[in-house]
Amino acid sequence: MILLALILVPILIGSLLFALPPSAQLASRVVGILASLTTVVLVLLARGDDWSLRWLSRPFTAAFHLGLSGLSFWLALLLTVVTLSAILACNALARRDLIAQILLLEGTMLGLFLARDLLLFALFWDAMLLPVFFTLLTRASHVTTAWRYFIFNFTGGLALLLATAAFGVLVGTTDVIGRSDVHVVGAWAPWILSGFALAFLVKTPIWPLHTWMPLTYADTPPAMLAVVSAVQSKGGLYGFIVIGLALFPDYMKAYAGIFIVLGAISLLYGALAALAQSDTKRIVAYSSLSHLGLILIAIFSFNPLALQGAGLYLIAHGIFTAALFLSLGFVEEREETRSLVRLGGIGAANPRLAGALCIAALAALGLPGLAGFAGELVLITGVFQAHLLWVAILALIPIVLASAYMLRLFQGVMNGPQRSDLPVRADLSWREGLALAPLVLALVALGTVPGTLLQSVMK
Amino acid sequence: MITNPYTLVDWSGIAPLMALAVTAIVVLLADLVARTYAKRWAAIFIGGIGTIAAAVLSARQYGTSGTVFSGAFALGGFTVVFEEIVLLALIGSLLLFATTMQEKRVAGSVALMLWSATGALLMVGAANLMTIFLGIELLSLALYCLCGMNDRVASRESALKYLVLSSTASGFLLFGMAFLFGASGSVELSALTSAGLATSAFLWTGSALFFVGLAFKLSLVPFHTWSPDVYEGAPMPVTAFMSVATKAATLAVLARFIYAALPTGMASTFLLPLWILAGLSMIIGNLGMLAQTDLKRLLAYSGIAQAGYLLVALAGTTALGIRYTIYYLVAYALMNLGAFSVAAALSDDHEAGSSLSTYHGLAHRRPYLAAMMTFFLLALAGLPPTAGFLGKILLLATGVTTGYWWLAALLVIGTAISLFAYTKIIRVMYARAEGKAQPEIPQSSILALASVTLYALALLAMTFYPLTPSNILPLLR
Repeated sequence: MILLALILVPILIGSLLFALPPSAQLASRVVGILASLTTVVLVLLARGDDWSLRWLSRPFTAAFHLGLSGLSFWLALLLTVVTLSAILACNALARRDLIAQILLLEGTMLGLFLARDLLLFALFWDAMLLPVFFTLLTRASHVTTAWRYFIFNFTGGLALLLATAAFGVLVGTTDVIGRSDVHVVGAWAPWILSGFALAFLVKTPIWPLHTWMPLTYADTPPAMLAVVSAVQSKGGLYGFIVIGLALFPDYMKAYAGIFIVLGAISLLYGALAALAQSDTKRIVAYSSLSHLGLILIAIFSFNPLALQGAGLYLIAHGIFTAALFLSLGFVEEREETRSLVRLGGIGAANPRLAGALCIAALAALGLPGLAGFAGELVLITGVFQAHLLWVAILALIPIVLASAYMLRLFQGVMNGPQRSDLPVRADLSWREGLALAPLVLALVALGTVPGTLLQSVMK
Repeated sequence: MITNPYTLVDWSGIAPLMALAVTAIVVLLADLVARTYAKRWAAIFIGGIGTIAAAVLSARQYGTSGTVFSGAFALGGFTVVFEEIVLLALIGSLLLFATTMQEKRVAGSVALMLWSATGALLMVGAANLMTIFLGIELLSLALYCLCGMNDRVASRESALKYLVLSSTASGFLLFGMAFLFGASGSVELSALTSAGLATSAFLWTGSALFFVGLAFKLSLVPFHTWSPDVYEGAPMPVTAFMSVATKAATLAVLARFIYAALPTGMASTFLLPLWILAGLSMIIGNLGMLAQTDLKRLLAYSGIAQAGYLLVALAGTTALGIRYTIYYLVAYALMNLGAFSVAAALSDDHEAGSSLSTYHGLAHRRPYLAAMMTFFLLALAGLPPTAGFLGKILLLATGVTTGYWWLAALLVIGTAISLFAYTKIIRVMYARAEGKAQPEIPQSSILALASVTLYALALLAMTFYPLTPSNILPLLR
């Protein structure tokens, strides 16, 4: 029952926030912080729980089946912590609607990671698109962005829906996530898998289905973006692991080549594109494309070590992306621009902000001692072991490039002479510091002692 | 001496129909004595009471079976379920009279709508060809008048267009019935099931013409062209009623015919043209929605596509298929009534709620109504967490299991197209409306807000607790 509460708390409180008057910003922030704190506690309490209730018995059986173990526990924990940070990071100008939408996003995504039933998974998959869509829609200058986000992701969602229905008819039940005894075979299986794969590739995103991503990431408010980039993008990779690998192992193997090539292209393309951007958010957006391509390769290398590394790197990537976007959000709040051409030298007046951005950027480029390194090391070792020698060597190039674009980003924002045409504002407040602190601590903790997570993430 | 062949059993079988017909007369009488300010509410209130009475009378027959009036009207679960759907549409549409339609015409409109619903109930239970025709004509005659119940030119045009085109369709239907009668020598639907008729040219011709008539009423492509014009011109409550009740009643006739009145073993080849029409409707209906700037026209095209969806589960003529069709039909009724209720809450007699420009920036002026409209549109598009989502899953699953995978694929393609059209309204509602002249929006009544909330809650509840009636077969005898 805790699991049910875990999903319902953010969704119900998020919906109820709309009943507050729009001017009640402080109240909605306090409620939001309390609600997201509750979810963190609930996730820790509910580890290992399993809960089920019958939903359909015909034409195939389906259940409201929720579970929290292994990868889904870590992703749920990541999600709740990032949500807490994101709501803490909302300043006094944040509108009530934004807090409410972030909570709704959290609730629907918790549903996705907790779902042990494909139909429930599909339901939350589509539902989690809506809060982001409406947030983009209500920001007047970004209507095209909202549409691009929606059309791409919903096309994927529709494919997922069709695949789920076909799966249910073929197998007779959709209550299969986390089971190891169900393997789908037959003429229909590749088609069903391709339906799932399309949705997952769009959501991750992977080249060439990524074109919605830079626009969305540039226009989403930083607090929500932290949740979207850190966790929503993991929905696809999570799907490949718990649905693809578990239910369609033969076909995943048969078509692995295609996915490895797509992953490798994303890896290189994302890194090169990140080098060429001047918008700070877009740099991180393209770096994300690159990093997630690496995880896709690891998933399709069919090596236990690579898979463990992928699990660790999924979490690590979530933490440092969230920290990067939140820090860059604070920079944008202070300097009112995101352009590297205009920014510069604000580290002198904002040492704490510079420190946080520095740790996040170093984690992203894979500095030993921080979470990114541990993940990349295990992952690439695993890919080597899987005899994908050339892929592993190829994967090293973007890691070098990552150093280039991450340092360029950090130096462009923080170092150099102060710009006279930019305002000088106060350093991080205690609230903003509190928002970044858990993420920075987690980066250090996972970088130094990744063992606990590595052992339990792929159980 | 001539004795009355019909007993109390016969009359109690059609008690819901009589309740509606009598209520209509009471509404007209009450209008004579009511004070001017009370006329509108007296009519709605009495009409509502009559509808609820009919619903209760109908529900009491759920466990019964058999036919009354010498095999003319079938009782049983199937009839009851469809009767309740029609009555849901009726009461939902009656409530819309609270804000639309001129005071002096409300009582007449309510009475006509009650008679129209009587016709729909007659279609739902019809077990022979004559009753089907009687029901369709009673439904349609009242609707012709109702369509013209407004001073706008479009309303008059709508009434005339509907009269001419619908009469043509009735001609097809009647011609088809004559052939069917010729084939079996009986007006009973059950007489058509004898295997010897499988090769009868009369049966093939007759049912082809019969299907043309029904396809017109269901507004399947290519017999759909009347519906956008008629929906646009008709007053809002009438459009809401037409879009749900007519579809439900016609679907009941169609389902009874294809499930129970065809010679055994010929359903798959015989009905193929019908499924092709359903597939076409899903694509063309959704494409048609894209260009619309009027909500009622848009929902008309949406109705064309939704009629196609409804037939997907019937295609295999399985026992489960009809149950899922009923589930989706109930969901469709709720989402359509919901959308029309929001539109009516934004309208006065001039029906501002049908023009999309009224919805510009609605989210900033009426956030609750905009959120509810969004919910209903998402439900129509089949997004979670609404019954539209689960309904589409059930339809898809049935389509795939029964081997009509191409219909399932067309359903998915149609849904993808429809998404653009439904979200177009959502985009308009959430856009900032700066520097544009905004039409006045009347204060929404508690009744309107309550009914909209109820529809939304029902759609939500249906998703997580899907009930489908099990006690509906056999459809004849």
